Amino acid sequence: MSQSSENEKCFKEREKRVMDVVALKKSDRVPLATISDFYFATSQGVNCREAMYDYDKMAAAWKTTAKELDLDMTGQLFSIMSGKVMDIMGIKGFSWPGAADPAQRLPDHLQYQYHEKDLIQADEIDDFLKDPSDFTIRKLMPRMSETIGPLAMVPVGINALSIPYTMIMGVPMMAALLGDIGSKLKQAGEEHLIWQASQDKLIADLKEMGYPTVHNVTGQCAFDWVADNLRGLKGSMLDMYRQPDKLMALVDLFEPQMVEMTLMMAEMSDIKRVFIPLHKGAGGFMNDAQFKKFYWPSLKRYFLALIDHGLTPEPFYEGDYTPRLEYLAELPPGKIMGHYDKIDRKKHKEIMSGIACFWGDVPGSLLVSGTPEKVKDYVKALIDDFADGGLIVDGSANGLPLESKKENVMALIETVREYGKS
Amino acid sequence: MKELIDAIVAMDEEKAIALTDHMIDDNIDPMKILDAYRDAMAEVGRRFEEGKFFIPELILSGEMLNAASEKIKPLLTAANKSSKKKGKVIIGTVAGDIHDIGKDIVTLMLDINGYEVLDLGIDVPVAKFVEAAKDFNPQVIGMSGFLTMAYDPMKNTVAALVEAGVREEIKIMIGGGQMDNQIRDYVGADAFGKDAIEAVKLCDQWIK
Ligand code: B12
Repeated sequence: MSQSSENEKCFKEREKRVMDVVALKKSDRVPLATISDFYFATSQGVNCREAMYDYDKMAAAWKTTAKELDLDMTGQLFSIMSGKVMDIMGIKGFSWPGAADPAQRLPDHLQYQYHEKDLIQADEIDDFLKDPSDFTIRKLMPRMSETIGPLAMVPVGINALSIPYTMIMGVPMMAALLGDIGSKLKQAGEEHLIWQASQDKLIADLKEMGYPTVHNVTGQCAFDWVADNLRGLKGSMLDMYRQPDKLMALVDLFEPQMVEMTLMMAEMSDIKRVFIPLHKGAGGFMNDAQFKKFYWPSLKRYFLALIDHGLTPEPFYEGDYTPRLEYLAELPPGKIMGHYDKIDRKKHKEIMSGIACFWGDVPGSLLVSGTPEKVKDYVKALIDDFADGGLIVDGSANGLPLESKKENVMALIETVREYGKS
Repeated sequence: MKELIDAIVAMDEEKAIALTDHMIDDNIDPMKILDAYRDAMAEVGRRFEEGKFFIPELILSGEMLNAASEKIKPLLTAANKSSKKKGKVIIGTVAGDIHDIGKDIVTLMLDINGYEVLDLGIDVPVAKFVEAAKDFNPQVIGMSGFLTMAYDPMKNTVAALVEAGVREEIKIMIGGGQMDNQIRDYVGADAFGKDAIEAVKLCDQWIK
């Protein structure tokens, strides 16, 4: 067989190995699929700044790691955002390695970090709900980007530009206020396309090498969209008591949009798995009644809508989802590829067997500071727990944290290959 | 007072504010009002431990307490203000890590539980921890870290405290998203605490 048809065969086998487990069918071996990101660069000596600014260097490192790890599905590429685009856009609210603004610059070896805050303040929710698009354009966008900051100077609601005469006077007046932002945006667009092309090419190259990519589309559930980004942890938690109706109105507003956006992106990709990191519904963040009211209904409908469209949701149940398992058991069997972080595995088996596979959950602390023997013991126990199938193995700190020791990662992989055969 | 305590524990913010304002107007001893808040917070902490309260209740009761303290502080006499503290604790998010939400909750809980807390902020360099340890003389240092990247800065901080000869007399606790007992051993801390209530319990254990 030629190399390329050999690789094609491997690609299909790997894809099938994982998807069989998701569908609750037997597979020849416990699959290895990771949602890691920067580890693919840093384990080849390419630091986080280089990964975000030098797309070619990053792609080369990624391919080397893919070969070295030889997993059934390789990592989450889009996490490696473009530092150049972030600079051109004058992104606020993040710190990252190599940032043009020294106040936002992290050392080269660190991954970017997010400063969580309330983009929409507690007393602004009504204004936002009254005209979400206008509020987004004139208030939120300037808060997120220095470059399009001048939009904040537009003195009237955008719908004041809804008749032909405003094209003659209103729009040019606005353009005068906005000054140079057009050329900056053009530059951002061009850079984005270069970045996007490098990501697409990498996915195609990996496919040619025989490696499926775990996912290329990400979505969020409505509550997290609101709570992570718009209201922040403190804001959203207080809203549950102080203004529950407004919080709910925000969630309701975004629910259909989450579905629409995800379907649109999935349409553009041939990978039909959708990553959905889940944040503020985990145990500890709210009680059962709050989860049932604010979080679960729209999340469940989101899952079902994606499944209806032939997509496989890949929720990342971040934190401890043990108290929510009874809810997850309402989902249709064999359709969800759920990644777990900290969870009571016994309870998972009890409640979820026959409903969904288990994907996880080797702790980041172990991969970074443990020994190969300890990792091996952990993985063996994991395989024993799920010996009758339904297991996919990965690290639990967004996959393998970039600080992982290589020998620990290799121990994880070798243990699965050795003990994970059916 | 019982009514106020009940209102706080029931997360009835409006009622708690109204009762507090009333008491202030009626010239009730401000220390007594603050004590009621403290008792209420102790109950909130208990319910948190029992798994009945979660982050929203910690945040909301913290807000209620802060609002009340703002009103009451100006009314306190100097004697009241320097009320006896249980002990001294330094808190900070370690070098390279810029997250503050978790650390702030821990600081608040230690504060209302009677500790004098020096909060060094986020992205705290190793040298700053050491310097503060010498100047402030804490019984406990708490290091917060959100991501796996915080492991090594924590380890370096502990090593520097050893180097400076102050490690022996200070207990060190760590906490935050990706921390666990494995990392406690890795960095050479005395304990890992999984949440803010555990941070208080650790200090209570250590400082008798
Ligand atoms: C919400 C969230 C987000 C939000 C907001 C993050 C932010 N900047 O605040 C958003 C969506 C923006 C986000 C982004 C990312 N996140 Co995130 N996120 C979370 C999540 C779900 C919850 C974090 C949180 O808000 N906790 C609530 C606070 C209050 O908890 P806390 O800080 O831990 O503090 C409590 C205790 O730990 C303790 N405590 C804290 N300090 C101390 C100190 C002492 C001494 C003691 C005793 C106790 C103590 O008390 C506090 C109160 O009880 C966690 C998973 C999880 N459930 O933990 C992932 C998680 C932190 N994120 C993760 C990742 C990978 C990311 C991203 C890199 C993803 C990406 N590729 O873009 C980005 C950017 C990184 C960043 N966070 O800046 C990973 C980190 C893995 C790693 N390698 O370290 C996590 C752990 C998820 C996972 N399992 O993989 N994230």
